[in-house]
Amino acid sequence: MSDLLELPWTEARGQVSPREYADACLRAIEQRDEHVHAFLHVRPSSPASLPIAIKDNIVTTDAPTTCGSQILRDFISPFDATAVARLRAAGAAVAGKTNLDEFAMGSSTEHSAFGPTRNPWDLARVAGGSSGGSAAAVAARMVPAALGSETGGSVRQPAALCGVVGLKPTYGRVSRRGLVAFASSLDQIGVVTKTVRDCAEVFAIIAGHDPHDSTSSTHPVDDYTADLGAGVQGLRFGIVREAVEPLGGEVRANFEAAVDVLRRGGAAIEETSVPTIGMAIAIYYIVANAEASANLARFDGIRYGHRSERARTLDEVYFDSRGEGFGAEVKRRIMLGTFALSSGYYDAYYGRAQRVRAKLRHELAESFRTFDALLTPTTPEPAFRLGEKTDDPLSMYLSDVFTAPANLVGIPAIAVPSGFSAAGLPLSLQLMAPHFAERSLFRTAGFFERETGYWRRAPVL
Amino acid sequence: MNIDRDEARRIAGLAHLEFDDAGLDRMAAEMTKILTYIDQLREVSVDGVEDRDAAATPMRADDVQPSLDRELVARNAPAWRDGFFVVPKVIGGE
Repeated sequence: MSDLLELPWTEARGQVSPREYADACLRAIEQRDEHVHAFLHVRPSSPASLPIAIKDNIVTTDAPTTCGSQILRDFISPFDATAVARLRAAGAAVAGKTNLDEFAMGSSTEHSAFGPTRNPWDLARVAGGSSGGSAAAVAARMVPAALGSETGGSVRQPAALCGVVGLKPTYGRVSRRGLVAFASSLDQIGVVTKTVRDCAEVFAIIAGHDPHDSTSSTHPVDDYTADLGAGVQGLRFGIVREAVEPLGGEVRANFEAAVDVLRRGGAAIEETSVPTIGMAIAIYYIVANAEASANLARFDGIRYGHRSERARTLDEVYFDSRGEGFGAEVKRRIMLGTFALSSGYYDAYYGRAQRVRAKLRHELAESFRTFDALLTPTTPEPAFRLGEKTDDPLSMYLSDVFTAPANLVGIPAIAVPSGFSAAGLPLSLQLMAPHFAERSLFRTAGFFERETGYWRRAPVL
Repeated sequence: MNIDRDEARRIAGLAHLEFDDAGLDRMAAEMTKILTYIDQLREVSVDGVEDRDAAATPMRADDVQPSLDRELVARNAPAWRDGFFVVPKVIGGE
């Protein structure tokens, strides 16, 4: 039955009972996760038409939610995230909670307080992040699907590095209730799967308005699988010149080959310019950290989470609990965000970043008058080695250079496997579409997947 | 933008974080490097750019909704007694 987990979820679910499916996943986790460390908690097998892994910053009542942080190491939520509740109602069960960079702050899952996740394709390399556990769990065929979360690329970047499909939906398309807040104007729950159809079907379960999240959209939910077989004849795609021009080597060659697949399918492809796209990381690290510094103020040792044993005064409860509970990267980001919002610097940093962000939004809106989707590689390089970037925060940040724009502008984007490097590491194509155009993303990604079939190759563990 | 040890200490105080001097120096150096990268935002012309999205977050009706289960809340509390969170004395301390 080991072949079961090689199949797409949408094929496997009809072939076995929910009990057999859940058991197969649990066995796979028991056999493989000691090498990968995708999971922070594994649930006992529970019959389910969809055994799904949930990133450990999305709250669940039947397993802890640690956010990869010491400050929440014992936290068990009183309620389920809306996305989790919808999955359960559709017959899914939580197979386990997946590893992440602490509070989703990172691009390698090395900033987890509970140790890094390893890339199933090369255990000496990172799985990406921050949803590295979710991407690795799907790539290693331990579960058919996982939820992750995105703030600047945290689903697409690890999906790319692990060779699986990763969707970042339109901002507001999936309820954020129960997603532990990092940067509230950017955060969105996303989906990781082996295939595009699996992704569309899981996404359809969690998409839609939630009265408990007033930023969730009332825009009608689409039929996300309707165009999966439609092909790309007549569609127009833009290649973002500023993103692709500086690239060299195999990432460039792979991207050009991917573009050729779409061109041969009948799509019209042109270069286009998005002049401000190169500012995305600079904007992101002001906006995201400013919002994070406010959101993480709630971790004060009073109502839940770690409280320092040595604290005697109220101030000491705050300072010592946060000092002991937060890791270095989280502190660095809180410091940057606090600085950007502090008196005398607000206009120069936060205000400035928001205006450049608005400029980027106008430029992308202008592009989408012409194009159905914009194309870039998902990441500027394949998976890097564990430890390679941990001493250089800025170089780590730059691995999100192609993914962060979609978060800043709120548009949907998908990462789809586009082949392998000479060293056998996965490479990935990114498609970005206008707000609420997920159906069109699935159409193009579905065509690309059918033509190339890279999802069929699995890592050997 | 250059952040020195005193500025890092001021920000840490605002953020309710504490570092020793070596930690402050390290943080100041890292922030300086990152902010130097971020300073490229100053070179972008934003004349005439509106900085707000047109769509405002809608308000919901202010109706009474079920609250969280108190026992489940107590389970996560670091210190809890008789339905209250216990904290160090706030008024009249040192």
